[in-house]
Amino acid sequence: MDDRRILLVDDEEDIRDILGIVLTDIGYEVLTAEDGEQALQLFREFTPPIVLTDIKMPGMDGIDLLRTLKSEAPDTEVIMITGHGDLDLAIKSLKYEATDFVTKPINDDILEIALQRAEERITMKQQLRMYTENLERLVEEKTRRLVEAERMAAVGQTAAGLAHAIKNISGGLAGGMFVLDKGIELDDDAYVQKGWKMVKGNVNKINNVALELLNFAKETSPNYRHCDPNGPAREIYDLMLPQAQEYGVRFVLDLDKDLPHVWLDPESIHRALLNLVTNALYACTDIRCTHKKTEIALVTRRPEGWAVEYQVRDTGCGMDEETRQKVFRNFFTTKGYDGTGLGLMVTKKIIDAHSGVIEVESEKGKGTAFYIRIPQRNGIQ
Amino acid sequence: MGKQKVLIVDDELDMRIFISTVFETSGYEVLSARDGKEGMRKAQETGPDLIILDLMMPGEGGVQMYRQLKGEEDLKAIPIIMLSGVGKKTFYHYLKMMNIKPDEAIPEPEAYIEKPPQAEDLLKVAGSVMGKNTEEEE
Repeated sequence: MDDRRILLVDDEEDIRDILGIVLTDIGYEVLTAEDGEQALQLFREFTPPIVLTDIKMPGMDGIDLLRTLKSEAPDTEVIMITGHGDLDLAIKSLKYEATDFVTKPINDDILEIALQRAEERITMKQQLRMYTENLERLVEEKTRRLVEAERMAAVGQTAAGLAHAIKNISGGLAGGMFVLDKGIELDDDAYVQKGWKMVKGNVNKINNVALELLNFAKETSPNYRHCDPNGPAREIYDLMLPQAQEYGVRFVLDLDKDLPHVWLDPESIHRALLNLVTNALYACTDIRCTHKKTEIALVTRRPEGWAVEYQVRDTGCGMDEETRQKVFRNFFTTKGYDGTGLGLMVTKKIIDAHSGVIEVESEKGKGTAFYIRIPQRNGIQ
Repeated sequence: MGKQKVLIVDDELDMRIFISTVFETSGYEVLSARDGKEGMRKAQETGPDLIILDLMMPGEGGVQMYRQLKGEEDLKAIPIIMLSGVGKKTFYHYLKMMNIKPDEAIPEPEAYIEKPPQAEDLLKVAGSVMGKNTEEEE
């Protein structure tokens, strides 16, 4: 090893002299101290890897010094010098993790063996640290590869789901074209209108799939801004109100006007809320639950411990337990032909990126409520 | 003889419009329904010559309506073309598994077409199952 410094502590000057010569002879650079206090001072200044100390000293004794050194620098190797009758002290010192002890009068060979052990331990510790660091690096690398593999698996799943969605849409386009063709062929305006509407609807769908897929593929690190959390909610309300009215669904905006500004990515939150409100509207206009008055509520609140909570509640058809468990999965959809199965997954991804939570409560026939909670954060991220 | 009546039962609007157009423009009279319940009602009211039934509908789905149709004396002779997104093999396997319990057994439909259906396929299969049915009646 490279660091050949040793701190020698003994209250007897003779012993310091003799041992100093012996240690220098072996090849050490020797620092000496006559008591515990001085030893500590020197140690803190020079941090030698090995300390050789007498166990019985006035003031701070060897055991106290040992404990202090071990608590300040646990890697330090401390060898104790003990008198003949100090066996209990010697054992006590081992308990406090002394490397070894040598008894007075000191036999040079025994001292050298003790020193060798100390050095071996230092080398071993260094190697161990190196191995550990290597191991950590290795684990890190493997983990990264595993995550990569998982991402690839998700991509495979995504591709399969995508193929299904595209097949549906191309079927819709082909159907639309057929109806349009018939309209032109028979000079029937009703068919032309219907066919053209189908084509437009399906082009719209494929656009949505592409957009949602892009959002999904993007590594979403939110673009945080310090802003009014009611902003995205108001935008969604204005955007979706005409559609809700068209479908005969009541749409209520209930904002907590006193919400302070918070750090969030307003565009992502806009998208997340849009997905939820679109779903709510779909649930309210589902043919299986047209029998009752439907309402959607978009609410902002500030629950204890969170920066903001968004609620999107509807009195639409609700979900059964099985459906509720699957809503955040890739390509899961209850909308059949209309859904891509990406909306809620993207929504969850956005909320996850904000370190927030998204929860759903739903009862079949009663309605559904989604809760998004965004945590407090400060600007420096 | 008047126009032959085709009842289309599918929850997807696009699919109803498309199949309706296919049959309307080929000289059939078309009725459509959005789910099994409405489908059953229309079948009972009008007694169609052919039913095109989507298997995968929300709610009870097409299988329930299919069972009901095959269970009613007046309706069980109406030929049915099953329609769904699953492959033909998967569908028949599914049917076989369902039919393991004899008391719940359901007969195979007259025809099965995988979604999305082609216009020519629909017409060809429709013509053949209705033809067969007429022969049997005679």
